[in-house]
Amino acid sequence: MTVAPATLRLIDRGDLLAALDRAAARKVTIISAPAGSGKTSLIRAWADHPGGPHRLAVVPVQRDQHDAQLFWLALLDAVRQATGAAGDAEPAAATPEFNARAMADRVLSALADARGGLTLVIEDLHELASPEALAQLTRLLTNLPPGVHAIVSTRHDLRLRLHRLRLAGELSEIRASDLRFSARETRELLDATGIALSEAGAALLHQRTEGWAAGLRLAVISLAGHPDPERFVAEFSGSERTVAEYLLAEMLDRQRGDVQRLLLRTCLLDRVNGELADLLTGRPGSERILLDLEDANAFVVSLDPERTWFRYHHLFADLLRLELRRRMPKQVPELHRRAAGWFIEYGEMVDAIRHTQAAGDWPGAAQLLADQSFSLTLDGQTQTLQALVRAFPPGADHPELALVRAMGDLGQGHLDEAAAHLAVAETYAETALPDRRRRLRVAIAALKLSLARRRGHLAGVIEQVKFLDSPLTGQSDEDIALGSDLRAVALLNLGTAEAWSALPDAERHLREGAVLAREIGRPYLEVSCLAQLGLASKVRPFATTQRRNREAIALADRHGWGAEPVIAPALNSLAGALMFTGDFDEADRWLQRAERAVQTDTGPDITLLMHMAGGMLHACRGRHQQAVEEFSAAEQLRSQLEGPPATAIQVTGWLLAAQARLGRPGEARALLAALDDERAGAGEIRNALAVICLAEDDPAGALGAVQDVLDGTVPVIGYVTVVEAQLLAGLAHRALGDQRAAGQAAERALALAEPDRLVLPFAMTGSRELLEALPRHETAHAALRTEILDIIHGSPAASDRSPPPPAEELSPGELKVLRYLPTNLSRFEIASELSLSRNTVSTHIKSIYAKLGVSDRSSAVRRARGLGLLSAGRTR
Amino acid sequence: MGGMDPGPVLYTIRIDGHLGATVLSAFPALVPRRRGGHTVLTGLLDRSALYGVLAEIDALGLNLLEVRQHTPRRESPPPGDSHSP
Repeated sequence: MTVAPATLRLIDRGDLLAALDRAAARKVTIISAPAGSGKTSLIRAWADHPGGPHRLAVVPVQRDQHDAQLFWLALLDAVRQATGAAGDAEPAAATPEFNARAMADRVLSALADARGGLTLVIEDLHELASPEALAQLTRLLTNLPPGVHAIVSTRHDLRLRLHRLRLAGELSEIRASDLRFSARETRELLDATGIALSEAGAALLHQRTEGWAAGLRLAVISLAGHPDPERFVAEFSGSERTVAEYLLAEMLDRQRGDVQRLLLRTCLLDRVNGELADLLTGRPGSERILLDLEDANAFVVSLDPERTWFRYHHLFADLLRLELRRRMPKQVPELHRRAAGWFIEYGEMVDAIRHTQAAGDWPGAAQLLADQSFSLTLDGQTQTLQALVRAFPPGADHPELALVRAMGDLGQGHLDEAAAHLAVAETYAETALPDRRRRLRVAIAALKLSLARRRGHLAGVIEQVKFLDSPLTGQSDEDIALGSDLRAVALLNLGTAEAWSALPDAERHLREGAVLAREIGRPYLEVSCLAQLGLASKVRPFATTQRRNREAIALADRHGWGAEPVIAPALNSLAGALMFTGDFDEADRWLQRAERAVQTDTGPDITLLMHMAGGMLHACRGRHQQAVEEFSAAEQLRSQLEGPPATAIQVTGWLLAAQARLGRPGEARALLAALDDERAGAGEIRNALAVICLAEDDPAGALGAVQDVLDGTVPVIGYVTVVEAQLLAGLAHRALGDQRAAGQAAERALALAEPDRLVLPFAMTGSRELLEALPRHETAHAALRTEILDIIHGSPAASDRSPPPPAEELSPGELKVLRYLPTNLSRFEIASELSLSRNTVSTHIKSIYAKLGVSDRSSAVRRARGLGLLSAGRTR
Repeated sequence: MGGMDPGPVLYTIRIDGHLGATVLSAFPALVPRRRGGHTVLTGLLDRSALYGVLAEIDALGLNLLEVRQHTPRRESPPPGDSHSP
């Protein structure tokens, strides 16, 4: 064949390799140069040369990588592969910070575990279109553990703020001028490939290409075996056409027909293998050609160690695509169609749909998309789905797409639009051929279920999941698979709807759904089920709810879904559970992360839960105005739901209470009067009435209001309502001047709160003075009382009731570390947060334990909390 | 420049070397002319189209020499556009 012989390898550009050797001795090396400058070749040659890095993790950024999650997952994967930790189940705990940050931390941990050092290579970073990812990458690069180096290649300079590294002399740069071939290297390249060219000819070639690597490589491929190399160079230097275009045309013309054919007909693909290339060229033998092209260093690179998949250099592919469209524009749709057929056969449906669209076969693409939409949704590819829908030309509507649009609407919480699209989809499905009809019906059934659930319509869900009682039947594998998918979706929706209505089977159904989802290889569905478990947990113990939510979030993080709506219920539930135990700051951080996760989902169900949690947090912090706003917003969303959540009555109660505390008992009374008898009789509303009475200086009325709650003669959601009633009774007694009765009520509230260390009602009712008036020796719950007071105060105001300070004051550095102990950040993550070394953090922690007289983290936190060391006022 | 995109504006973009039919097909919206050893591409581009062209120039390894904007005269703003700078 006429591609350059296999002996053509990169010449040993010793100077350049030495330059990279020197550069790579620093922490970070940036290679910034335009397309075709030889960035990738340099890195590959450097990796292979004796004395090069012994361990390398390479991450090429995909074209137009908008999804930061995918980038971080690829990075983490590459590091784990390189360190041989790929099989480890990652126990890293989830953190409330935005996901990209957590992912960067995880990569840092993985890098820290790389014993003996590692070089991390990130190629084509200019393709990463996510500012957030760049910011976190900056943090990663400035905090690389000892022994770890990074090389970043990019076509143009990026906003990486690496000045700290630069000042420390830990940053080096290689730019286009460094990558240029010198005249001597050009000569060596020609000699190494056996091209006989005069000194003048070589000089001319060097001058014309300006030492540009891509130009020289194209020239060498054409020159190899050229009958008259001198004439080639003379003509080339006489031409004023741009280097790449001239040389590409020359190079192509000099290839054997089958090689030309292969290059032009496969350049439309992002990746190609021998079989696919055979299909597109209509001839066998493509794999050999691809291997030869790679061996000849002709802009073809293999993507896997087995060398089955290849891609073309971006510059080369771009030029080839232009050439293809110019030379044989009529062939382009057919090539896409054939590629689509191959991808369908191998189940790569997203690629298949893209190529069908590119072929201009819009009806075919619509059909394919509709058929695959259910499966893609179950794999969490909703964003990809919607991008594919948007790629259809506007105007020409395809009825098939109604189904896909309904899925998108549902994912974004646009329930009415989803219902409308679903109706169209149903009509269409009946016109489809039987085979497709079955598949579409399953997707529609699943969608209807999800829609009913998101409306809080429990009866509707139960009606539609009756089929769960019948065993799975089906003739074909596809039937069985579809049946399992639908079953898992049904369990998810049933369990969620039951949790919404506080029914006892919720947890069992969600767990069954999660197990089934795992069995059938649908991790996204598994996460969906686990994310709802928090809501399904009985109110106590909070520790269990917190743990379940953390587990669900950790699993979502592992898959890269940690910032998506799917995990929002768990984020919300975790924040709520933390509020009950008084961890308001941490709850706030999780709530903010939940806020980000639901940005693309405006459904009334999750939005209601978000407002409820937001209101709780404000109410606990005494910000009554904001609490009223949040609770009101939650109240208003009830009208959009068929069935409000079981906890809705609590929202109403807290709204009334917040209004009264804000000094507007009149408004609260007006709302109260509008409630029907059933709701007005609930314990939560009785408590609210008590708050209203207190605000009206009617403590006797307040006592009357909570009496039925204390007697247990009205329904309550949980014991939290009773604790709240005790505290309100205590406040009423206090207002009446009956300190003894007030103390007894406070003591009863503490007794009920003790097993779960419940804090929320104490904060929400403003029971600080009530607790302070309770003498220490008169309570059996002194520790809890102190802890609650600390939390309510923020910082201990009255020092007389603080336990004696530790023997030795903590140093400012130790206090800083101490502040992170209540979080579940690892030592390494704390170190990274504080820009300290892990050793320093470990030393601090040891010293903290010694000074506090404890032996583990949780007792350190308890002790520190008791001493008031964790409150903001003391540690800033 | 800053704020809202004022809409399409006339640009000339100078590139080193003569662009052949293959590379020119990447810029269907621009009119090419040869000026000495350079190629000058001219056309009406809004801001995102301009950046698209620049990205294409980058991707094809072309040598960009100059980008020039020809601002429309103040006294004759395009009809219906009251926000021109």
